[in-house]
This record gives sequence, structure tokens and C-alpha cells, in this order.
Amino acid sequence: MKLLPFEYAVRNLGRNPLRTALSVGGASLVAFLVLGAAAFVTGMRQSLAVSASPDNVILLGTGSEESIERSQLAFRSAAVVAASLRGIRRRLGVPYVSPEVHVALSVTRTASEQSGRLTVIRGVTSAAFLVHPALEIVQGRVPVQGQNEVLVGERLADKLGLPPEDVAVGRTLHFDGQPWTVVGRFSAPGTVMNAEIWTALTDLQVVTQRDTLSCVILTLDPAQGELADVQAFAAQRLDLELTALAEAEYYAGLDAFYRPVRILIMLTAGLIALGGVLGGLNIAHAAFASRARELGTLQVLGYLRGAILVSLIQESLIGHAAGALVACGLGYALLDGLSVRFSMGAFGLVVDGAVVATALGAGLLLGVVGTLPPAFRLLSAEIPESLRA
Amino acid sequence: MSFVECRALERTYTRGDNTITPLRALDLEIEQGTFLALMGPSGSGKTTLLNLLAGIDRPSSGELRIDGQEITTLSRAALARWRSVAVGYVFQLYHLVPVLTAYENVELPLLLHDLSRKERHRRTALTLELVGLADRHDHYPRQLSGGQEQRVAIARALVTDPQLILADEPTGDLDAEAAKGIMTLLAALHRDLGKTLVMVTHDPKTATFADLTLHLEKGRLVSPATVGADAPAEGGA
Ligand SMILES: Nc1ncnc2c1ncn2[C@@H]1O[C@H](COP(=O)(O)OP(=O)(O)OP(=O)(O)O)[C@@H](O)[C@H]1O
Ligand SMILES: [Mg+2]
Repeated sequence: MKLLPFEYAVRNLGRNPLRTALSVGGASLVAFLVLGAAAFVTGMRQSLAVSASPDNVILLGTGSEESIERSQLAFRSAAVVAASLRGIRRRLGVPYVSPEVHVALSVTRTASEQSGRLTVIRGVTSAAFLVHPALEIVQGRVPVQGQNEVLVGERLADKLGLPPEDVAVGRTLHFDGQPWTVVGRFSAPGTVMNAEIWTALTDLQVVTQRDTLSCVILTLDPAQGELADVQAFAAQRLDLELTALAEAEYYAGLDAFYRPVRILIMLTAGLIALGGVLGGLNIAHAAFASRARELGTLQVLGYLRGAILVSLIQESLIGHAAGALVACGLGYALLDGLSVRFSMGAFGLVVDGAVVATALGAGLLLGVVGTLPPAFRLLSAEIPESLRA
Repeated sequence: MSFVECRALERTYTRGDNTITPLRALDLEIEQGTFLALMGPSGSGKTTLLNLLAGIDRPSSGELRIDGQEITTLSRAALARWRSVAVGYVFQLYHLVPVLTAYENVELPLLLHDLSRKERHRRTALTLELVGLADRHDHYPRQLSGGQEQRVAIARALVTDPQLILADEPTGDLDAEAAKGIMTLLAALHRDLGKTLVMVTHDPKTATFADLTLHLEKGRLVSPATVGADAPAEGGA
């Protein structure tokens, strides 16, 4: 099939500037929305995916496998596990076994402030820094026990909706009716930890008046132990009421938990895109209808309807591609890395290749889908009919 | 065998219970190299006949052979290919592509042929020269007068060197002077290039440029059915 010159499609764009402007604008709007939605979904998924270390196992209280914050575990569990479970990684004899308390508390800048934001506070021992290698202290130091000191994650300010200086080292935060001094800042890129507050395990237990743990996280030495061993141990030690989960599995569960949210977001973006398609249909229909005779003439010359269709799609794609590209450029500049608050923590939007491709694809699809029905309608007319139009 | 042979050619339209027959059992033969004028009242089926001859419409029944090729049985794509080689069509309202220059409009049919860029250029330039527009290559249709636009349209119909040129009221939208220019051009194409021309017109003066005039009335021919450049008959019924 011999096609019409590409020039023809390009110049047709100038023929109906309003339609061209609307399709460029519509495509960029839709592409931007899809980009935002996809960046949100990708950011959320990545933060859950990188939060897990491959050799880590989480021990939770039996019956609360979906939520660390709801789980309760006897305090002695950590010691029992460290002493009697084989296959745990050790360094200089120190086992990679981290007893942790996770609570979600309302955090404010002053004692009098009423409305704070719920934030995960994690009470840890020094072993936490062994089992969470992604975490790096970038400023200050580790909290000293008994001093009500805290370490804050890089994205905490975003999570709390505060300017970064309000959570800087030396500042005071308030939760559970007590002031806490920020003594350090850590970075754990992309993970849920990045928006948390860490403090000494016993300090947190004191203020929350609990003597149980939320979980015990341990790192296996892959040469000596595997998840099945830990699960067998948990099954034997009925007295401890433990359930062992691969950390990856735990986060996969969280990921699944948030799937409806992601679907809703993509669906919303999709519906708006559909609105774009419907709007585009009308514009394209009007634009093409005024060209009926010309398209009839092209067929008289010997051009096939397929060739004309290709040209109409090219024309539409040029405008939509321009719009979508602008949106992707803007989206990358404005959205990539942007912090989003979410119940599980704060995470950064991720605008990567796949996200850009999705947004571009949506913009281009809009061009094609919005062109086909009016083009079909016009090209289905017999030639004499088109010439008389 | 004549260049154009129509046998019991009929075109009917059915709309609901209504049947309209713009062309009724038409027999017509046209010898190669004839310049034929078709006249007749509005709605008599002139355009319908022209469209059938151009292969852009299909008869409801009957046979239509052009240069030995039965075109009523060709597939849609084959018919399109046939058109791109065998016919040139000139419209009353020129129907140039507004976003293409005069040169590009004329080149457009050539893009359907396997020709080198150089050969395309040669033919396009030559044809534009033939219609007297060698100096208007880069003009867009809106920058041309009606007469000039029609010349470009004629060049477009001519550039692939088809044997059959069809024109539907080619001067219908032009003032007397421009019309005369166009008719002089068409007559020259017929005389110098030996093209077979079928032209619809309302204007008897325009028809005098043709070798012969046929009249259509209510879808029927009311004049001799065999027409040739050397036929003795002249004029209508
Ligand atoms: N698609 C169609 N559906 C129904 N009727 C049609 C259609 N096309 C043409 N006709 C009818 O066929 C008849 C002949 O039309 P045609 O266009 O051939 O006339 P014409 O001789 O060219 O007239 P004019 O001088 O006004 O151009 C008319 O009555 C017209 O209404
Ligand atoms: Mg007509």
C-alpha cells in the first residue's frame, strides 16, 4: 500500500489550530495524569519491595501476620531465638536478631499542639542496624537508652507535612505526651523505614507501657539456615506463639493489601483518559467531516482508504505525541522523587522508563482511539457520496 | 472494439421503498481519442455516468469495458490501482489539497507509481508547464485564481498520462474568460495528446469545443449510441 506523504499529515495539523491545540492539550493532560498515577503505583510498590532484605525473617505473634503494629510477642522471644535457633547470621558472635516494637503514634512539634500525624515509631536495639543494612545514619548518632532520644528518617518531614528544619537534629518532637530529642538522621532510600522515627526499645516500651515486642527480625546465614528451619522452630516452640514469615512475604502481603488503592488510582486516571477520548472524538469528527471531499478526491486519485487512515492517524499521533512528551518531561521534572504521605509511611513518586512509557502510550493511544471512529465513519462512505459532501 | 463500451449499464439507488434509477439501460461506445460533451438537465444522470466511467462508482447491472478492461468486476483495491493508471478526473470545484502546493498537488498521483524522485520531478514540472503554470510551483491553492486552480487540477489529472480524462463541469465555476482558457487547454490536450475526453457541461458554448455532444435525459441517452472521432454525426438527438 502506497502511503500519502508524511508532509501531508504534518501540514494538516496547521489546518485546524484549535483541534491541534486541544489534542496536544488533551494528550498532555491525560499523559500527565497517567504518569502521576503510574509514578504513585510504582513508588509505592518499590518502597514495599525494597523494604525487604532477602535473608530476613520476621517473627510475629500468631494470628497477626498482616500487621506488625498489631502483633504481640513475648519479650523473651528474641533471647530464646538467638540462643536456640541455628542458622542465624552472626558477626563477632553477635546474632542478627532484632527485637522491635512498632507503634503508630500522633507526632507533633510541641506538647500543646493537638493534631499530629500518625507516624510509625520503632523501638530498637543496636541489632536493628545489623538486620536493616539499607539503613545508614547520615547525621548525628544513635539514641541513648533512657534519654528519650530519637533518630528520624529522611522522609519523616514529608510524612508529617512539616518543613525539614522542624525535624532537624537538636529539635524536639512530641508523642505519647513526652518530648523526644532528635539526635540523628538516617537514610534508607525507598523503604518504609525512611519515614519512621526510631528510638531505644526500652524507652518506647516504657512510654507505651508494654512489655511485649511487635516482632523479632532476624537475618539468616544462607549457608546454614533457611526459612523452613525458622518455621519449624516456631512450630515446635508453641509456648512462644510465633509465626515466621520471610520479610519479602510480609511486604508482599502489604503490597496486596494496597492493591485496591492502586487499582482505584489507575482506574481514575483511565476514566479521565476516557473522557479525553470522548472529547477528542467530537473534535476529530468535526475536523475530518470538513475534509470529506478531499478524502474522496484522494481516493479518486487511487489512494486506498487504508493509506488515508494511516495519514489521519499520523496526523493525530503527531499532536498527541507532542502533548504526551511535554507531559512526560514536566512530570519527570515535577513528580519524580516527590514525597507522598500514605498510611504505611511516606514514599517517593518514581518516574522511571516504564512509567514514562505508560504515560506516552496513554497519550498516543488517546490519539489513535480518538481518531478511528470518525475516520472509519468518513471512509466508509462511497466515493461519490464523499465528493458530494 | 471501442475504447469505452457500456452495455445495458444501470445504476439504481434504493432508499427504503423508493428506487431511484439515475442511469437506465445505457448502451454507449466511445472511440479512442474522442472529445465527448455530455449535456442534460440537472439530475439526468451525467455525474452518475461519469463516476461509473471513472471507476469510483459501480453499476447496479450491466457491463463497462474501458480499453479492453472490464472494470465492474475489479476488487476495490484493483479498481483504485486501475484509476491511478487509466483515468484522470477533473472536478467542477477543482478539489485541490489546500495544504499542498501546486507542484505537490500535481505530484500526488505519481507517488502511487514506482518512479524515481527525479522522474517524478521531470513529469510534474513538464505537466505544470503544459498547463501554463511553470512559474507557480510553490503556490498554494489559496494563492491561485480559480482558472489557475483548475489548471493545476487538470495537470493532476494528466500527470500519470492516462488515456481517459473525465471532467464534470470543469468551467462551471469560472468566469467566461477563465472558462475559455480551460476549454482551449482541454481541446489542446485532446488534439495534441490524443486523449479521450468525456466532459459534462451545462453550457452549449463549452460543448462546441467537443467533437460531439450527447444528451442525457432521465438516465437515458437521447442521441447516437456510437460515438467516434471520425463519426459523421454531430450534436445531440
Ligand atoms: N447516493 C445517491 N442516493 C440517491 N440518489 C442519488 C444518489 N446519487 C445521485 N442520486 C440521484 O441520481 C440522479 C442523478 O444524479 P446526477 O448527480 O448524476 O445528476 P447530474 O446529471 O449530474 O445533475 P447536475 O447537473 O445537477 O449535476 C439525481 O436524481 C440524484 O438525486
Ligand atoms: Mg452532476
